[in-house]
Amino acid sequence: MMNIDLKKQTRVIKENLFSSPVSTLLTFLTSYIMISFFRGMFGFATAPDKDWLSVLNNMQLYMVQAYPESDFIRIWICVGLGFIFSGLSVGLWETGEKTSLSKLCLTFSKIIFGIIFLTLIAPTTSVIVSTATGIREQVDVFSYAERIPLLSILLGLLVVFFLLSKINLNFNKSFLVSIYLFVPIVFLWLMKIPTIKLDAENQRVFPDPLMPIANSTKIPWTLIWMSFVAAYLIGIYFKNKKQFKTAVSISWVLLPLLIFSWIFKKPLIDLNELIRNDIPVFIGFLLVGVLTIYFINNKIVEKFYGYYLGLLVIVTLASLFLKVILLVKAGLLLLLLFSVIIPAVSTSAKGKRSLTIVWIVSLTTTAFLLEGGTSTTQIVVPGSSIFGGFSLTWLLAIFGTYVSFPLGVLLALGRNSSLPIIKGVCTGIIELVRSVPYITWLFFASVTMAVFLPDGVEFNLIVRVLIVTAFFSGAYFAENIRGGLQSIPKGQFEAADAIGMNTVQKTSLIVLPQALRAIVPTLVSSIITGFKDSSLVTIIGLFDFLTIGRMVIGNQSIPINFIGHDRENLLFIALVYWIFTFTLSRRSMKFEKRLGLGER
Amino acid sequence: MSIIEAKDVKKWFGDFQALKGISMEIQEGEVLVVCGPSGSGKSTFIRCINRLEQHQEGSIIVDGIELTNDIKNIEAIRSEVGMVFQSFNLFPHLTVLQNITLAPIWVRKKSKSDSEVKAMELLERVGIPEQAHKFPGQLSGGQQQRVAIARALAMEPKIMLFDEPTSALDPEMIKEVLDVMKELAKSGMTMIVVTHEMGFAKEVADRVMLFDDGLMVEENTPNEFFDNPKNDRTKLFLSQIL
Ligand SMILES: Nc1ncnc2c1ncn2[C@@H]1O[C@H](COP(=O)(O)OP(=O)(O)OP(=O)(O)O)[C@@H](O)[C@H]1O
Ligand SMILES: [Mg+2]
Repeated sequence: MMNIDLKKQTRVIKENLFSSPVSTLLTFLTSYIMISFFRGMFGFATAPDKDWLSVLNNMQLYMVQAYPESDFIRIWICVGLGFIFSGLSVGLWETGEKTSLSKLCLTFSKIIFGIIFLTLIAPTTSVIVSTATGIREQVDVFSYAERIPLLSILLGLLVVFFLLSKINLNFNKSFLVSIYLFVPIVFLWLMKIPTIKLDAENQRVFPDPLMPIANSTKIPWTLIWMSFVAAYLIGIYFKNKKQFKTAVSISWVLLPLLIFSWIFKKPLIDLNELIRNDIPVFIGFLLVGVLTIYFINNKIVEKFYGYYLGLLVIVTLASLFLKVILLVKAGLLLLLLFSVIIPAVSTSAKGKRSLTIVWIVSLTTTAFLLEGGTSTTQIVVPGSSIFGGFSLTWLLAIFGTYVSFPLGVLLALGRNSSLPIIKGVCTGIIELVRSVPYITWLFFASVTMAVFLPDGVEFNLIVRVLIVTAFFSGAYFAENIRGGLQSIPKGQFEAADAIGMNTVQKTSLIVLPQALRAIVPTLVSSIITGFKDSSLVTIIGLFDFLTIGRMVIGNQSIPINFIGHDRENLLFIALVYWIFTFTLSRRSMKFEKRLGLGER
Repeated sequence: MSIIEAKDVKKWFGDFQALKGISMEIQEGEVLVVCGPSGSGKSTFIRCINRLEQHQEGSIIVDGIELTNDIKNIEAIRSEVGMVFQSFNLFPHLTVLQNITLAPIWVRKKSKSDSEVKAMELLERVGIPEQAHKFPGQLSGGQQQRVAIARALAMEPKIMLFDEPTSALDPEMIKEVLDVMKELAKSGMTMIVVTHEMGFAKEVADRVMLFDDGLMVEENTPNEFFDNPKNDRTKLFLSQIL
């Protein structure tokens, strides 16, 4: 078995790398360049004038900036929820592909081989440049003797994996995610990373160089990992339950909203007002909506539909100018929107049922957003808006995609619509948003937007940034998606027409699935761009991941002097960005392959 | 009572008149073959019957419903009339089975399991039950066209329209599709077939029509049409094609 593999590998290497003199030359040349690059980087990283403590010590700052420690539990819960739902989804939507322990061991062995190779070729000297005199000086960094412990550990691991690979064990491929997530957890338990803390007077102190930061994170992360695995198993168990899948999908839509308000707000709920005003209003709207859904196609009621709609329009318009609670205005608008689409969809029992679900979900979401989103109490963070660091970057990236993608789909469909008003509005939005630079929009968010908002509605700066980001990337998504829509042959529309599908069915079952499939690569690159561009928010005073490393840590002098150590931090930041974007693009390639099944 | 009745149908594309007044009737269970040179308006005419194109003058009545701009009428007619295209037009992102069950589930609002049972019966009928879980891209042209026929039949239409169903196929595959169509014709389906397969016309057609330049120049029984055509244009056409 091993033998055949080896032979095959050799053949593959021969065919791909040394097939002709030119390719042999190229192989050597690129290997040389890559090895030199690695040696340079390694030399840079290990030079004695680099202080990697400046990265390790500041992990907390990197992750959440100044978010109050007493409220960390909120963040942990959010992260945990994210992982639990990911686990559920991985289990529910797994394809049933199998893999084996020996294959997994092979993967790990390959990685270890790579590390051994790098350890062997790493340079023994490095260069430091004195800042005072500018003189370059060679120093010894990583002697061969020092490598022996590392190499022996690696070789030991190789042996372990070799022995493990003898065990004949098959498991679902989707379980690999749990295993891969386990690797960093192991590191958390093993590594000792000192950290900076705030003392009682809010002074930055460096309590104990050997106190591992992992002490405060390893237990939560381990718990989260365990809940992930548990959720995965639950997902597998309920794999064939359709309702369960629907519930999880809906939760995915709601989850970010929950997380959002959970991180930002400490709602002071006025129970009295809630019971007197909001809950009755909510229930009232709920009932009216459901009644409309179920009775609108009744013969007698149908006659009055026109009057009902007219009345609703008038009441909604009036409410906008009257002094009623916000929930009434929003609820009326939503009801109006629904009443327009109800007759077309609620013709069958199935349509009625799904429409009811959509109604309940959107009403709940609206109510929740209005209550949570406008609550004036929020988490107080000394000297900055809520938080920064990786959480902010991540939040901008996720929310940017999460809101802008559906927005982009709607704008694209609207722009292709045959109704002139809708077409005009959508085209207008897209062109307006795209023709102004993102940075301008950020300034708009930070200084101008408040003027446009109605009285009494105030959004946090981050929320405002999220709104402009959603529109900005939404407009780009829309143009990408429009390209996808245009790539669909006319015959597809005709075939759908010929079997009697209506416009909604045609769009959602035939057109969009194909259009989105066609542009997955472009969409992923937009998402990646959005992720990286989020660092532009530094311009309006938010502290994203990059800014923390460059501006904050580079200026730290208490309790340890890190001034001038921003290069290490930049390297670290680059590495983190790379890990995320690389994973994303690899996942999307796999995804494309899976989708490509239908094409040829 | 005739199931399709067209009266003096005229159709323009901009300034260009593609149909110059077509009148015809077809009875339930009849098989009508339409032939004619390229660009004579054959496709345009049968596409008018399920409103993929709109005629501007004249009237078309399908199964007692007149074709107007009323969306409800159009959808009603489209679910009575199945259509098979020259280029198959299967949905590439759905499996064969999903292609066939799509319309029954979403348009006819039938349950998924019933539709799948029905779809398997139809695949059996067109001779490719073993391909149910493949994607269209993995099938040969002839197989794809048979799936397209099954997809149209899944709506249980009263009328089937075929627009040159075999002209994008290799000769070996033409037979398998024609066989399915012959079986369908014998089962009593009302069919309008645009084709240049004269063998098919001779064997199963009740009537054959010749279109030329937007007009119907000859309408005849197959025997008369091939052996004893009335019109010079028909003779010319037959001499070119046979
Ligand atoms: N969408 C359109 N816009 C403009 N002209 C059209 C359009 N569709 C068809 N035509 C014209 O109408 C005429 C009739 O076309 P039609 O497709 O009906 O011909 P046909 O008899 O089916 O020919 P073929 O055997 O080549 O399929 C042709 O001259 C064609 O150029
Ligand atoms: Mg044609």
